[in-house]
Amino acid sequence: MNTLLQMRGVSKAFGGVHALTDVHLEVEKGEIHALLGENGAGKSTLMNILTGVVPMDEGHIEFDGKVYPHPNIRQMEDAGIAFVHQELSVINDLTVYENIFLNREIRNKWHVLDKKQMIAQTHELFERLGVEMNPLTMVSQLKTSEKQLLEICRALHANAKLLILDEPTTALSNEEISHLFEILKKMKREGTAFIFISHKMPEIMEIADRYTVFRNGEFVSSGLIRDTDSRSLTSDMIGKEYADKDVYQPRILGDVVLRLNRLTGTGFHDVELEVRKGEIVAFTGLAGSGASEVLQTMFGVLPIQSGSIEVQGEKISGSICRFMEHTIAMLPSNRKENSVIPDMTIQENFQIAEHTLSRRKPVIHRKAEAAAFDARRKLLRIKTDNPGDPINSLSGGNQQKVFLARWLNTNADILIFDNPTQGVDVGAKAEIYQMILQFAQAGKTVIINTLEIPEIKKVSDRCVVFYEGAIVKIFDHEEISEQSVMMYSTNAVAEAGK
Amino acid sequence: MTTKKTGAPLQKTLAQCWSKYSYVFVFIIILIVYAITINANGNHFNPGHISGILSSQNTVIVGTMAIGMALVIITGQIDLSLGSSLVLCAGVTIMSYNATGGNVLVMLLAALGSGLICGLINGVLVGYAKMPAFIVTLGTMLIYRSLTLSVVREIDPALTGSSSSQFSMISSMPSYDFLRMKFGTGSLRLGSIQIPYISFLFVAITLFFIFLMSNTKYGKSIYAVGSNEKTARLTGINVERVKVSVFAVTGLLVGVASFIQACKIGNVTPASSGTSYEMYAIAAVVLGGVSMAGGRGKILGVFFGALSYTTINFIIVSIPALSPDIQNTFQGLVLIVVILVQTAGPVIKEKFVELRHRTKQVHQ
Repeated sequence: MNTLLQMRGVSKAFGGVHALTDVHLEVEKGEIHALLGENGAGKSTLMNILTGVVPMDEGHIEFDGKVYPHPNIRQMEDAGIAFVHQELSVINDLTVYENIFLNREIRNKWHVLDKKQMIAQTHELFERLGVEMNPLTMVSQLKTSEKQLLEICRALHANAKLLILDEPTTALSNEEISHLFEILKKMKREGTAFIFISHKMPEIMEIADRYTVFRNGEFVSSGLIRDTDSRSLTSDMIGKEYADKDVYQPRILGDVVLRLNRLTGTGFHDVELEVRKGEIVAFTGLAGSGASEVLQTMFGVLPIQSGSIEVQGEKISGSICRFMEHTIAMLPSNRKENSVIPDMTIQENFQIAEHTLSRRKPVIHRKAEAAAFDARRKLLRIKTDNPGDPINSLSGGNQQKVFLARWLNTNADILIFDNPTQGVDVGAKAEIYQMILQFAQAGKTVIINTLEIPEIKKVSDRCVVFYEGAIVKIFDHEEISEQSVMMYSTNAVAEAGK
Repeated sequence: MTTKKTGAPLQKTLAQCWSKYSYVFVFIIILIVYAITINANGNHFNPGHISGILSSQNTVIVGTMAIGMALVIITGQIDLSLGSSLVLCAGVTIMSYNATGGNVLVMLLAALGSGLICGLINGVLVGYAKMPAFIVTLGTMLIYRSLTLSVVREIDPALTGSSSSQFSMISSMPSYDFLRMKFGTGSLRLGSIQIPYISFLFVAITLFFIFLMSNTKYGKSIYAVGSNEKTARLTGINVERVKVSVFAVTGLLVGVASFIQACKIGNVTPASSGTSYEMYAIAAVVLGGVSMAGGRGKILGVFFGALSYTTINFIIVSIPALSPDIQNTFQGLVLIVVILVQTAGPVIKEKFVELRHRTKQVHQ
């Protein structure tokens, strides 16, 4: 048929790590092509190669009849490839039409901006696409969904032949999604092609024509959506069952220590959960599913809208400090932003949370603190000679261990880990999960939020799956499988039930 | 325990010393320049010049306030109202002295109390109302001085101590001699060196704040807020309260500074006293190696920064060829050069090391 894009034998390694090995991808004119794979499967690397952000080591790229041996950003933009990123890149302080014409403004013969012309063209574009938006509105006043649409319109206005949509629906409501899909279908009929990256199985089944699946940087399968179903796509994505040795050991659990009563907050609602002493509970769910928000609310970062949190039978609310006093600790996600204090030493970074609890004794006892760090350093195998070195002298995995130590040092009984292995290398990752098991054996209660299902299987007693702000399923340890967890977290279950 | 690379250990220690205590070296260099200019003008550099630096109002009054400014800057804020607060607080201090017939305790409490109030107003607006510190303190800078200016002529001269537009300590009070002659301008003789009493106060304040910043949990929380506010919040630190507190502490230090102003100078003129002191304080803080981006800096550095800044002024004054009008130009230039050396120095050094590394590789 009408092949628009052909990528063959593409390989890319970062350092010694193979991100992509001999993958291929073919997109035809006027189709929506779903690109599927777990986190780290190589989807974004391939898209970065295609848009010229990252050079490839090997491979052949042909787009619209032309071969691009060394694509760069400018070339690929000019050729008609547009990348609509997950994080919106529209400029809030400009109007809608100014955003559309950003960097390609129309000027009159005096080299002054021709606003009339630009506004008229924007109107025309919106009419053609069936978008209802005023070109003169400030972008800051638009809803997220409208910003997403604007971004797509901007790409189309630049005469893009191929649009890459990276999880375009995560921030949208169901209604907005169906509106977006209508527009996509319309554009598809006009001959525009799409690469559609999404983790939500129902919408892939609805909108996509064909699919390509990657796993661990390798091509797995490709075909027509109508010839497959969400179950087999899911198993293509996760591959064979991991054959790792199971480090999980059943433990005798204590009484209920933590209870969420119809807890409602930012991005989630009516969450009911009981957690017992010594239990490891894994939360999982896609971005925007509310899993991370529940944890943040359990630590006082986000406000409780209704419902309550009970620890040892006592209702708690208020500041983070209050939650810490009730023996809760949280290792937040995004280490660099939320855990690192860059101007401080390792020792100071370690100690800072404990200071909050012991603030009634204002003076620091260096010897006692050094001893406390040394004990945790041995326990967590933190590789450092001198606790007086800056925190940034450590590797990502070692830093994360320092922050684990920071929270253990508060003697918390309930440990919350939000995506603890993000940006941590494989070795340290395994170690961190091993430690989590040790904590539980020592009687700590652990709640982890992660997308890494094999890891969940390894450590957790129960797995709580979130989808769009609510618990959709709670698995016991024996029931946890990549397949089933993935089915629920992408809501493929609802799709299969149809 | 660890085997560190040996090889030019002296050079390494020196380099570490330089990067850690650059503010001390900056002061020494400036002091040497001062000595040279004095000798070049036919005088002899002697200990009297050093006690001059120690007792200068630029050291003691600005320096005391600069310590507060450093706390504020370390949390990532700024306080532009210092000079105006000083005038207001010194006015209150002197009036309470005059009104109580020279009661030192009341005077001291008035100084600290008025300073605390000025600081708290800044702090609450920045911390709890979440307004930008630059704007809040710009506003209070205008308000504090203009309030003082507008009331000074309206108040009974028996209270202000002066019929012209200033606040002045009435010399007939019994404690006047002690405050002004003994404490404010007197000094302790140690051999051939005279150390002013108020310098001891400044040193004591410096030592207290060195302890506060490096040995207390409160001090660490100030650094944490300035270095990464989000993390600070997630470790349970009450970020708002820390912000309010640094402004409040700065206010208290302004109170101390206004007490010193009263004792050392004996009066304060709302129209002209303390103008640009907030800028001088910032200069001292920056010369002391405190990062304007927040999160980093030492109180000991601010101490030496204040000394350096005073010495720079003295150098300019000691050159007879320079008219007083051109003074600020030189102050500005020296400030820019010193900071340029501190910020551009490491970059140049890195380039140099890289170049040497590359030529080495070529030779191999």
